[in-house]
Amino acid sequence: MLAALLALLCAASGVLLVLLLWPRESALGMNWLLQGCLGLGCGLGLFSVIFFVSRASGSTNLLVVDFAVFALLLAGYVFRRRRTAVVTTTHLSDEKTDPDWLLLVLRAALAIALLAALYSAILRIIAHPHGDGWDAFAIWNLHARFLFRGGVHWRDGFPLIPWSHPDYPLLLPAAIAHFWTGLGYESQIVPALIGLVFTFGAIGLLFSSLAMLRGQISAILGGLTLLATPFFIEQGTAQYADVPLSFFILATIVLLCLYEQNSGSRRPQGLLVLAGISCGFAAWTKNEGLLFLLAILAARLLLFFITQSRSVRAEAPPRPYITYENARQASTSLAFFLAGIVPLLLLIAWFKHSVGASNELFSSIVFHKLLDASRYHAILKWYGKDFLRFGDWLLIPGTALLAGLYFAAPDERMQAADPAFGASRMALVMTLAGYFLIYLITPYDLYWHLRFSLNRLFLQLWPAVIFLFFVRIPVLIPTSSNVESVSK
Amino acid sequence: MEAPIPGRSMPDDAQRSDLRFAQLKAALPQRGVVGYVGDAGESGIASYYLSQYALAPLVLDRSLNHPFVVGNFPSNPPAASVENLRLVKDFGDGVLLFAGEDQP
Repeated sequence: MLAALLALLCAASGVLLVLLLWPRESALGMNWLLQGCLGLGCGLGLFSVIFFVSRASGSTNLLVVDFAVFALLLAGYVFRRRRTAVVTTTHLSDEKTDPDWLLLVLRAALAIALLAALYSAILRIIAHPHGDGWDAFAIWNLHARFLFRGGVHWRDGFPLIPWSHPDYPLLLPAAIAHFWTGLGYESQIVPALIGLVFTFGAIGLLFSSLAMLRGQISAILGGLTLLATPFFIEQGTAQYADVPLSFFILATIVLLCLYEQNSGSRRPQGLLVLAGISCGFAAWTKNEGLLFLLAILAARLLLFFITQSRSVRAEAPPRPYITYENARQASTSLAFFLAGIVPLLLLIAWFKHSVGASNELFSSIVFHKLLDASRYHAILKWYGKDFLRFGDWLLIPGTALLAGLYFAAPDERMQAADPAFGASRMALVMTLAGYFLIYLITPYDLYWHLRFSLNRLFLQLWPAVIFLFFVRIPVLIPTSSNVESVSK
Repeated sequence: MEAPIPGRSMPDDAQRSDLRFAQLKAALPQRGVVGYVGDAGESGIASYYLSQYALAPLVLDRSLNHPFVVGNFPSNPPAASVENLRLVKDFGDGVLLFAGEDQP
């Protein structure tokens, strides 16, 4: 009963946060799934923040705080509903133009894949109640135990266990500890269910966002691509933080793309705040999320400056993918995006300062490693190998399949990329480059480090890559809606 | 970006470890730092992590310079007493509690 109440509070708070920031008139088909998936992830993020702040401030009655936050969000939502609705023009694909027979076959395939993934995930949870692999019990669940069992003294032990990476952000451990504290006991079903929520939430988010932007065929193909990545389901149930991070990276990019789809003078800035919150949650999940956060900010700024410099050069030919915002609009957009990010960045800074632990990767940077050509060669080789194998695919690597589709598609794929797509793509490339740099300077044995982490780093970006791929690639069956969507 | 140590735990290692340490956990203070001694090698590292997981938020320091030292020998219980340590209690299944020689 208490468990159900806590789960309901968590989900409802997250969904209310999403609804509070969602543009009013864009609530069209499939949005319930999109908003629901976003809400579940944001709810877990909120729960982790509530727990951490309560612990740090010495508050003991967590349930009261939960209800207070829920009531505040509800009041905000009700207040907003009474105000005049903001009119937006979210583009939707016309689903009716997709051939019936193809949709039927694809829907059946998706349903079968979804059931198979769910069955496999449940079996894995039963087989591995404490997670599958070292990081589950040596990092994430261990930190959750410190937070739950340590009470107000949770911090004392963190600096004394440097091997457990005490500087790692706390979204996952604090969300777990929140539920344990509410229940009054440790239940291994909590981290397992959180893993399931993020895994299937990411699939739902990918499907629903693609359905909204590109129609059901793209959505089903995107969903199938992710469901047919065995490593995604394995990691999602391993009680690691890589799949939750992939969820928030995908959510950030989806929200930025949805924002760009809404043209006109009154753009839905709430989506930008929500994208910022999601980006902040990514950084609050893993340190790699912090890298992604910096990358997406840098990419948006870079694209803006490129646009500005091109726009002042009269001789430069017009480029269809250049951002449509002027300097003032861009500053406003950035401010709204930062409004979502900054509170979480402050929280991360406070946490890192309070545990006083430095990251081992940067504790002893040896610059001569940057000049060692053999390290570049080794990392590039591993990038190439893992590009084809990180998903644990049985026969055909999903990455090779997408690359094949990309080159087989007509040239229109290169046309009319919007700023959100350009910035997102650039951010993912920058994040990959950041990973590369970290491998260059790693204090660990390079091959050992690559062997045991690169596949998970690729997985973190994989749902976002699938999303961006199916957003840009012309749908395999040409329809009027697709043409409309591409030219938008 | 974490880099796990090579090798993987058995499915229910953590669960088994929790059970092994349950009695010792009740006998130790809830917080603070105690010493730790266990098997050498890679399996020893896994056992150490699992012990820490079971006994958190008590911190296990891999050192004998503490008034109390947790002994964890899941596969090879020590034939004789550990150097400079006095056995306080054997909890079975390779779980031992030692005290420093100079402890009363």
